[in-house]
Amino acid sequence: MTQPVTIIMIEDDEGHARLIERNIRRSGVNNEIISFANGTDAMKHLFGADGSGLPQKGNALLILLDLNLPDMSGIDILKQIKENRYLKASPVVVLTTTDDSQEIKRCYELGCNVYITKPVNYENFANAIRQLGLFFSVIQVPPAAP
Amino acid sequence: MTAEAQRRRAFWHILLFAAGLVVLTVISAGSVYLVNKARDDSKWVLHTIEVENQVNTLLLEVRRAESSARGFLLTQGPDFQADHERAIAAIIPALDKLTRQIGDSPAQRDSVEKLSAAIEVRLGQFAREMDFVKQGQLDNAKALVREAAAGNTTTTISNLANAMIREEERLFRLRSANADRSQTLAASLTGIGSGLVVVLALISIWLLRRSARMRDEAETRLRDAYANLEALVDERTADLREANNEIQRFAYIVSHDLRSPLVNIMGFTSELEELGGDIFRRVSSLTHVPADGPPLPSGEIALEGPDKQLSEDFSEALGFIKSSIAKMDRLISAILNLTREGRREFQPEKIDIREFVEAIVSTLAHQAVEAQAEIHVEPLPDIVSDRLALEQIFSNLIDNAIKYLKNGVPGEIRIRGRTKLGYAIFEISDNGRGIDARDHQRIFDLFRRAGTQDKPGQGIGLAHVRALVRRLGGTMSVSSELNAGSTFTITLPVAWNATTRKTDR
Repeated sequence: MTQPVTIIMIEDDEGHARLIERNIRRSGVNNEIISFANGTDAMKHLFGADGSGLPQKGNALLILLDLNLPDMSGIDILKQIKENRYLKASPVVVLTTTDDSQEIKRCYELGCNVYITKPVNYENFANAIRQLGLFFSVIQVPPAAP
Repeated sequence: MTAEAQRRRAFWHILLFAAGLVVLTVISAGSVYLVNKARDDSKWVLHTIEVENQVNTLLLEVRRAESSARGFLLTQGPDFQADHERAIAAIIPALDKLTRQIGDSPAQRDSVEKLSAAIEVRLGQFAREMDFVKQGQLDNAKALVREAAAGNTTTTISNLANAMIREEERLFRLRSANADRSQTLAASLTGIGSGLVVVLALISIWLLRRSARMRDEAETRLRDAYANLEALVDERTADLREANNEIQRFAYIVSHDLRSPLVNIMGFTSELEELGGDIFRRVSSLTHVPADGPPLPSGEIALEGPDKQLSEDFSEALGFIKSSIAKMDRLISAILNLTREGRREFQPEKIDIREFVEAIVSTLAHQAVEAQAEIHVEPLPDIVSDRLALEQIFSNLIDNAIKYLKNGVPGEIRIRGRTKLGYAIFEISDNGRGIDARDHQRIFDLFRRAGTQDKPGQGIGLAHVRALVRRLGGTMSVSSELNAGSTFTITLPVAWNATTRKTDR
């Protein structure tokens, strides 16, 4: 069974959020995008009030995550997502301004699916998003955990 | 301790040594002289005793002659006659000997002359006496004896002899006293000299001990100073490291945070470009509605007059913005990379530098051929260092050498190496355009370049290379003249140890 994927964007810079959204749209991806400007709100949405992650059970999500957030580290969010039984199957795309190899390595170790350095050149970014568009279309809803 | 005090001490040491030498010489010479004198004096004392002895011998012989003559007179025994003749025969040689012996004293010479005269008289009497006895004229002989006794010849002889003995005794006392004095003098001289030497030795020992103590004190002070210096150096090093880390962090954060707005600027500039395209397409479709014929294909903009001008101005402005953003992005990336290099932990490993450099050269072979450059790699010393850092150092320098050759002149790039005192020295020289002396410092500064700006570049390479060389515990310099090629010299420790310049973060 397929189900439209909801894109969760956690990005504190409004401009970046807008640009990402526009480029996603421009590359032909029309999925619902829910934006969060800080980590706390995003965590509340993803894990629910009790932090169990139950509200998202069975939902197909794609998470775009900025590592530099004002209130918490994106790395922490990534770690908690990948440790949560309901969320760990959701693909996570890390979007950040640094291309530090240590940081990239750490993200992949924690289970991030794609690491994208925020481009200054948006033409390349659009290409990347288009490829991600293909990626989005093959997302399978994770089997419902018992 | 001051140099003045040192000179003074050395002077005292030399003075002491000289004084010791003088004392020793004086004692030696004095001793030799006095011993000789004592020996002389002793000889004279002995001489005196011999003379006395001789006088006694002479006297004895005279008495013997006299008594044997009397015996002969009484007994006419041949024994007495023989005895008398032996005594007579001994007298003259004894007298001669005595005469020879007392040659030194004029008073004694007079006495001897008188003595020999008296003895001659006595000998004459003896001869006559003996003749009378032999001829049987005993009465005559007796008369002669009486005459001799009356003439007191024998007494005269013995008086003279005694006088001589007394004189000799006087001389003996005199000479013994002399000999005693010489010996006492020699002994005191030796004693005083020894005392002086001992005193000098004591002073020397005192001076030596004092200087040893001063040296110890100086050593202690030096050690303390060393310890202080080390502590100071450690402190300063820690400060510098802290400052360096601070700068690294600062550069990292600044460049990182500068990038964030730049993403927006570039992104929305692209948006504006799209928007601009849309707007001008719309303008063109509004102004150029063809009355007949097909509409313009979408995407193509056909503008005329002021509209075209506006569109061009718009594109030009956006072009400038985009190229500036691209440049800024490159600069920020460069700073980020540099700070990242500054934070990377180096891994020292043994590297076959010649093979390593040849591998780098082969990756640059294409550029070298394009620039008509030949690269010669001479034998290079192996070192222990960080492979990645060395790769960046060498490839940057060789790349620069290829890049900045003289136009139209076949390039010749040479890589040489040698070791000196635990350091490996590498030289990368070319026959390129060279660098003006006033730019020698500038080229190592970040984002600074020198000479004709006809090649692409950010002015990062050499700054980066020098930072790496420094982190590897080495130094780097350039020697070059405009139009006469350049030589970059890198000095790196042969066995670099990561702990020697650990970055404490």
